[in-house]
Amino acid sequence: MATVNVVRVERNTHPGIYPILLGLKITFMNMIRTLFMGQSATIQFPEQKRVSSGRYRGIHLLTAREDGTPKCVACYMCATACPAECIYIEAGERPEKSIEKYPTRFEIDLLRCVYCGFCVDACPEEAIMMSRENDLVGTTRAELIIDRDRLMERGKLAEYGPGYRPTDHDVRRPVRIAALERLKKEHGIVPGMPHR
Amino acid sequence: MPKFTIDGKEIEVAAGTTVIQAALAAGIHIPHFCWHPDLAVDGNCRMCLVEVEKMPKLQIACNTQVAEGMVVRTNSDKAAQAHRTTLEFLLVNHPIDCPVCDQAGECYLQDQYMDHGLHESNVEIEEKVRKRKVVDLGPIMLDAERCVLCSRCIRFEREVTATNSFEFSNRGNQMQIGTFQNQPIRHDYAGNLADVCPVGALLSHDFRFKMRVWFLKEHESVCPGCSTGCNIHVDERDGETQRLRPRRNVEVNKSWMCDPGRKLYKDIAVTTRISGARLKRPAGWEGVAVTAALDEVGSWIKGSGNTVAFVASPQATNEDLFAFKALADCVGGLLDFRVGDPQLKLHERIDGVLQRADRNPNTQGALDLGLGKDGVAEILKRCASGSVRALVLQGPELLRSPEAVDALAKVPFIAVFATHEGPELEHAHAVLPLSLWAEVEGTFTNYQRRVQRIRKAVSAPGDARPGWELASGLLQRAGGSLPAQSAREVFARLQATVPGYAGLDYKIIGSGGRALQTAEPAAVEARA
Repeated sequence: MATVNVVRVERNTHPGIYPILLGLKITFMNMIRTLFMGQSATIQFPEQKRVSSGRYRGIHLLTAREDGTPKCVACYMCATACPAECIYIEAGERPEKSIEKYPTRFEIDLLRCVYCGFCVDACPEEAIMMSRENDLVGTTRAELIIDRDRLMERGKLAEYGPGYRPTDHDVRRPVRIAALERLKKEHGIVPGMPHR
Repeated sequence: MPKFTIDGKEIEVAAGTTVIQAALAAGIHIPHFCWHPDLAVDGNCRMCLVEVEKMPKLQIACNTQVAEGMVVRTNSDKAAQAHRTTLEFLLVNHPIDCPVCDQAGECYLQDQYMDHGLHESNVEIEEKVRKRKVVDLGPIMLDAERCVLCSRCIRFEREVTATNSFEFSNRGNQMQIGTFQNQPIRHDYAGNLADVCPVGALLSHDFRFKMRVWFLKEHESVCPGCSTGCNIHVDERDGETQRLRPRRNVEVNKSWMCDPGRKLYKDIAVTTRISGARLKRPAGWEGVAVTAALDEVGSWIKGSGNTVAFVASPQATNEDLFAFKALADCVGGLLDFRVGDPQLKLHERIDGVLQRADRNPNTQGALDLGLGKDGVAEILKRCASGSVRALVLQGPELLRSPEAVDALAKVPFIAVFATHEGPELEHAHAVLPLSLWAEVEGTFTNYQRRVQRIRKAVSAPGDARPGWELASGLLQRAGGSLPAQSAREVFARLQATVPGYAGLDYKIIGSGGRALQTAEPAAVEARA
């Protein structure tokens, strides 16, 4: 029969009042911090609002041109990219021949939206971007389908500051770079003018 | 029959075939802009360059005929580089306004840039040559900046419509297409210009900014506008038809379609569609269930023999006509379809291109099925004499014809299958909701006696049903039966009884249709 060596740990089974005081010290320190030093973890929402990241994906806004018309050209890229299919666009004729097209209707169903930011990534004009606003309140469903004019108004307010807008990290580039690499690897083709 | 090798595949083609045609038949896609299967070869875009062994320079595939023992490479380094450089050259002055261009998604430039180009542009947007944009040419919008100068539109105007509206003007990088003094296109085939244009230079005014094409689902069908029976695609999104466009069929319409035909989609989703059955009561119209309406009509026609008359419609499919004839035969009533003698105009052409004077898609089918029996004049005569108790109409044509009004007023009960509301329906006593051509499966027989399939693209509104279903419902109430659950099964019964259609089924008819044996081919040719 084999012998089993059992290690016995000496526990202090009678620690006295000391650990309780230790715990209370933490509690009281937090109380003092919260009450007197203004280091509370909670905030007085909605009067107070938490600062969020510059890439926060909140409710969308449509940007405007200098003359106040929408920058959007109704190319439907956002509606195509949208996984929730919450964007509805109707295009119309714009008087300027250089631009031609603009949205006569542009609606986002904020209740269907999953706030993934794909619409912002897909936009070739930086016409749609996201704000940092996240408190979505309404009394009817219809109220939360926001139309073109409300999306534009929100752009003027921008109370929370702009949110997600992929300007300096162009998301289209990695896709193109990957496509070029694949072309070179699989077909040995380097696009561009022939190099001699 | 020369034999040649293309990309390692050895194929045999008919003498005189060009490399691009042979490649297409072998399933190899050679990039091209100016070549079109139904237009003359022009060879100006230089996109289809291929490497031919023992030839010092690259050859254009569209204008090189296949010769015995030829070895062609479409994807060799030399050819691929030629495709890239040509494409870059074509894109030098292109405005790259894909976001606002309706062609995006079906644009040759986009497709070929993704397949063969992927180059960085060496020309800044500001350096590009500006040309005319948003020029309204009636049914067509012209944007000269997007043009690749392939001359397809010029050749279409010259060869198909013989109108010669388009021509190039200026030279070099100022070269552009246009019509004289921007005059609008006036012929009935303008829509084809937008189809023929490989890029977004010519676009349809009707489809402008309506929908991005990648949302559309296409369904093969046949145009119901006249007896020519052009093969078409019905493009639909979420059950809403957005446009009709031609589908290539060398035997019928090549790649073309007329503008009146293109506009037919506008009748599909309108508020005047009939979505439920109704019966005329002393107090006025009463909406009822379709089965109740069928019961009512059935009670009038059951066992009435030749006091009932049936008028079929050449707008209906062969399946509908077959079921309608079975109904008429079962009751023993009078039967005809020739309201306004459509068969006289069956082969008469309106213009030299596609349109025919008979605006019904299936007059030939109705003749083949033997629906021209007692004569509409005879039916009207009996109506006027008061010996017709009930009249069943497969379409509202008879109600619309002014000479029938007096005779119809003497008929105690008129039932009509109808798709759209109209003032003529006031003469009827029962209206049964009928599905439109885009909402049913079926076949049409065109003026050439070519049986072609139409397919369901969108759903019918409300309770509307296909014509054969309504007719077989009445047939049941009249004591007969048509044991079929679908248009396909009706057609299976049809081919068993109608001479000439024997042995056909939907699979054999396929997407291109199937020509029937013509009884007197010489006579038909002479009339055409």
